[in-house]
Amino acid sequence: MSPSSRKSGLRLAGAAALVLLAATASAQEAAQVRLTLKDHRFSPAEPTAPAGKPIAIEVTNLDSTPSEFESKTLRVEKVVVGGGKITLNVRALTPGRYRFYDDYHEETTEGFLVVK
Amino acid sequence: MGNAIRARRAARLSAIACGAISAVAASGTASCAQTAQDPADQAVLSAPLPDPFHELETKYLFGFTEGADIGAEGEQSVEFETTAAFQRREGRYGEVEQEIEYEGVPSQFFGYELSAHVSGYDIAGVAGAADAHGVGFSGLSTELRYLVIGRGPGSPIGLTLIAEPEWARLDDFGQPIADFSSAFGVVADTELIANRLYGAVNLIDTPDVAKSPGQSWRRSSTTGATTGLAYRLTPKITGGGEVEYYRAYDSLAPRSLQGQALYVGPTLHIQFTGQTMLAAAFSSQVAGRATGEGYGLDLTDFPRYRANLKLEFEF
Repeated sequence: MSPSSRKSGLRLAGAAALVLLAATASAQEAAQVRLTLKDHRFSPAEPTAPAGKPIAIEVTNLDSTPSEFESKTLRVEKVVVGGGKITLNVRALTPGRYRFYDDYHEETTEGFLVVK
Repeated sequence: MGNAIRARRAARLSAIACGAISAVAASGTASCAQTAQDPADQAVLSAPLPDPFHELETKYLFGFTEGADIGAEGEQSVEFETTAAFQRREGRYGEVEQEIEYEGVPSQFFGYELSAHVSGYDIAGVAGAADAHGVGFSGLSTELRYLVIGRGPGSPIGLTLIAEPEWARLDDFGQPIADFSSAFGVVADTELIANRLYGAVNLIDTPDVAKSPGQSWRRSSTTGATTGLAYRLTPKITGGGEVEYYRAYDSLAPRSLQGQALYVGPTLHIQFTGQTMLAAAFSSQVAGRATGEGYGLDLTDFPRYRANLKLEFEF
């Protein structure tokens, strides 16, 4: 197999896998988790979500300054401007505690998504 | 920091202050006495302080060995990666490749990099190679990373498949070439001690077809197995070491062995901020053999020393 055909085959396989994953995720209704940020604090600081279902995390920033919701274990990050609202769609998770934080204030602003 | 954690820390500080007051005035204060007698506060006092060692992305933690993390969905960054190779069996040999990379993570399972390469050469008196001095645009590459298993609460092991197609217009000795290759890798990593000690293993195969001016197409490949350990010395600084073993073949499939080499070396990773990272590695060939040669190292197919420096800016 030439390098170019290897590359094409790999891209096709990767695209097919992504489509399959997306289809599987969208087939299930997402669990909703709502968070607010005020005075650089998440509320609730330890929201819960069911295991095995996709999760939609809505973050409303009540502060006037921007924040960046980030989580290495959830594998998502997104900036939410002051007074703004974002929604992050997370894959179905296994039970556990998933840390999230404001990347602009990591040492003071964190929480845990508890998946049961 | 969560409210509960902040409350615990405040209570602990209050208790420490009470202790100091009691040392000066044996009777202490009424509020201090109440604090010490409150079972809830006693539980707070016995609770551990929050751990400052948070999760760390492992992708660049192990030097030439890669970690399985791909980053967070929505992440974008620019990286400057410098890779240097020094010393062959005789003469003077130095190659420094500078890559400028854009990295994106469009999903929680897939990441990619786009890279442009510029290389500089200082080569003289190396057997089988023309002397070369200068700097030039040397090629383009991309890296595709698919996360099969994400390390985290649900799995102690991360597993990622990597493909890295590359086109090069200069070879390792600074000579014009049309070279098409792609590294295919299986990357696994784990946390041997949570948020402190990390380990990774890579299996790599890099088939390559190349054509020098006036010559026919030549096929070759390199396979390898590497492993690395990294320990966080502080929340931001991680040090470690890695061992790499490579085999060079004069064919796309691993049939005609040309040489093999074993490298060892230290690694360093500094997470300056959430957006800025530096990673460095240096490795020395400590054992090897080229087919048909009687030396203790393979300096025909592999350099004696390699170094790598990455600087990443996330935005």
